[in-house]
Amino acid sequence: MRLIVHTARRECQRMIHDPIYLVCILCPAIACYLLFTSLMSDGLPVKLPAGMVDRDGSSMSRNITRALDAYQYTDIVGHYPTAHKAFETMRQGRIYGFYYLPEGMEADALDGRQPTVSFYLNYAYLIAGSLLYKDMRTMAELTDASVAEAQLSARGTEEWQVKPVLQPIAIDTHPLDNPWLNYSVYLNNTLLPGVLLLTVMLVTVYSIGTEMKYRTAGQWLQQNGGRIIPALAGKLLPQTLLFSLMAMLYVSVLYGYLHFPLNGGLLPMMSASILAVSATQAFGVFLFCLFPWMRMAMSAASLWGVLSFSISGFSFPAMAMNPALQALNHLFPLRHYFLIYAGSALNGAPFSDVLPSFLALTIFLLLPLLFLKRLKRKLLTYVYME
Amino acid sequence: MKTLFNYCQYELRRILHDEGTLIFMLLVPLGYPILYTFIYTDEVVRQVPAVAVNLSDSSMGREFLRQVDASPDVDIILETGSMDEAKKMLRAQEAYGIIYLPGDFNKRLQRGEQAHVSLFCDMSGLLYYKALAVTCTDVSLKMNGNIRLQMMPGLTVRQEEVTSLPVKYESIAAFNPQTGFASFLIPAVLVLIIQQTLLLGTGLLAGTDRDRGLFPYRESTVRMWGKGLACLLLYLPTSAYMLIVVPHLFHLPQLAHASTLALFMVPYLLACLFLALTMEVFIPNREASMLVFVCTSVPLLFLSGISWPGSDIPMGWKLFSYLYPSTFGINGFVRINTMGASLADVQTEFIALWIQAITYYTTAWGVRKYGNYLLHRSA
Repeated sequence: MRLIVHTARRECQRMIHDPIYLVCILCPAIACYLLFTSLMSDGLPVKLPAGMVDRDGSSMSRNITRALDAYQYTDIVGHYPTAHKAFETMRQGRIYGFYYLPEGMEADALDGRQPTVSFYLNYAYLIAGSLLYKDMRTMAELTDASVAEAQLSARGTEEWQVKPVLQPIAIDTHPLDNPWLNYSVYLNNTLLPGVLLLTVMLVTVYSIGTEMKYRTAGQWLQQNGGRIIPALAGKLLPQTLLFSLMAMLYVSVLYGYLHFPLNGGLLPMMSASILAVSATQAFGVFLFCLFPWMRMAMSAASLWGVLSFSISGFSFPAMAMNPALQALNHLFPLRHYFLIYAGSALNGAPFSDVLPSFLALTIFLLLPLLFLKRLKRKLLTYVYME
Repeated sequence: MKTLFNYCQYELRRILHDEGTLIFMLLVPLGYPILYTFIYTDEVVRQVPAVAVNLSDSSMGREFLRQVDASPDVDIILETGSMDEAKKMLRAQEAYGIIYLPGDFNKRLQRGEQAHVSLFCDMSGLLYYKALAVTCTDVSLKMNGNIRLQMMPGLTVRQEEVTSLPVKYESIAAFNPQTGFASFLIPAVLVLIIQQTLLLGTGLLAGTDRDRGLFPYRESTVRMWGKGLACLLLYLPTSAYMLIVVPHLFHLPQLAHASTLALFMVPYLLACLFLALTMEVFIPNREASMLVFVCTSVPLLFLSGISWPGSDIPMGWKLFSYLYPSTFGINGFVRINTMGASLADVQTEFIALWIQAITYYTTAWGVRKYGNYLLHRSA
């Protein structure tokens, strides 16, 4: 125990001496917390620029334009004489989609000649395109319904009967626990820990590697009587502490300040985030043992960390990935953290449901134990090579 | 001239003999695109598992569920009468949605009242929600048209058609027609990889020099050019591979005109290169470049406006994003590659990249001039 405290003190001095530690522990995480939460402060992108090609110029088409413009996601920023012109504007990146009303639409609709309105969406920008689609399709449905309503009234259908006739089956959607379809909830719950865990992995490898590089590893081990466990524990603990503080910072931002859904209680998320930090440290040690040289371990940590954003399945679901990848994603601490968040914070599952993910993170903690001998030998005998 | 080529040769040899730079400047550009495309290879989410809670024992209710189940995007894995059981499956993440038909579903339809179907969705992935909501809406619209007709008997076939659908509409996916995830994200990632690996690679080289007691900011301009030329020689083929071969290999949208793409990539590569040559002088040691640059990848991808729409990015962050070539590079490339834009269509980005290239050349040259000036003064 005394050894651990001693080593921890030595590590703190190293951290103060080499500013790159503190900068890398604090800056990327805090910058990303600020960036992502302010970027998505609206929850959803609103008022996306869109275009209108009104070839009809009737009162009906003007009504449609006005109504569409008032919708949540749509901002009609330009009127274009032809579809060709609108396409060109889309290619220049100034609108994400446009609505096309054909000539003679109003007359055709009322005479029952079934005109076709069209909308063009740019899915090269997938989110913007999908949101505009939602507005434009609703608009088309309503146009359809309002004409049908006029026809029904002409047939003498009573007003109270119109709604069920137009829409006999209605769908009420209940997005559970994220009722506003808030992108911020959906992305930040994994992005923020993701960035933090990436820095955890890099800093862990860096801090052990520099012991070898600057030939201080011998002294570090000697101080612990050549025992690797207290040496490692003492070295990593101060970092664990700092990173856990950073983890608590995003937990408070997400659940305290932004009031994101937290149905399973605060405790599981707090313990999950601290456990994920320690698991990632352990994984960093493991990577360090795995590769002969520090820079290869650093490279591996970088690639692994960046990959975890995609493979953890929070943006593109894991179930749609190749089975090989679905197996591989168990090797990413972020994946297990994501499962705990989705289960506990979002869906309010009892602890027993997310227990497997907690266990998985704990297994990461045990990973370095398999390599302790190898690590010690490496620290004492290997010379730093570029 | 001869010294320039000597330096270039020297740097090329250095890059090819150093595992760190080899990984970042060769392996990542060649391997990562394949890995990413593999992750997103299915493009869309199919067969999202859902539970049906059917309290209405009616043919209409069964028809609704049958049509939902038959759709490509939703798979009803269980039909039950118990909401609790369904909720349990949702919590255990065995299903991602509950489709609830209330007991009065059929009765209301028969009476000519509006019947409601409730859809409960797991929100851990927005794509699940999208698949479930769109499918249920589509099925309800299709059934609505038919039910409407039954309510108004005595119409001719043509009248029926017109009443069920007075105005037709069509939605056209102008670009990225299958609304795929890979087609949308991979092009952006490809462009970002060029910038990030250049930053990392030159940072590694500069860090190595620093470890040996050499200072990149005291290099001569010729030496800088030699290094730049070496990087360009390396990145011309890899960029061609990433931006032309990879999209072709994985059947991503590819509408680019070769000449437009080539012309556009010139300022992008130069801007990235000179940004890298400027930044490298601040790298204190070999490993630091990874600590510094790796974390910027994900934020830069978001700031490019490709996933989070650029029209909704706060002004302050927008200005910040203009410092990086990737912002303009990604937007320009996506429009050229995925949307078939001409050089005139991406004029803004093209000019911005040239401004960046010139600015960063000046800074890269400037820091070296200043470094040499300090050296001579102290000598």
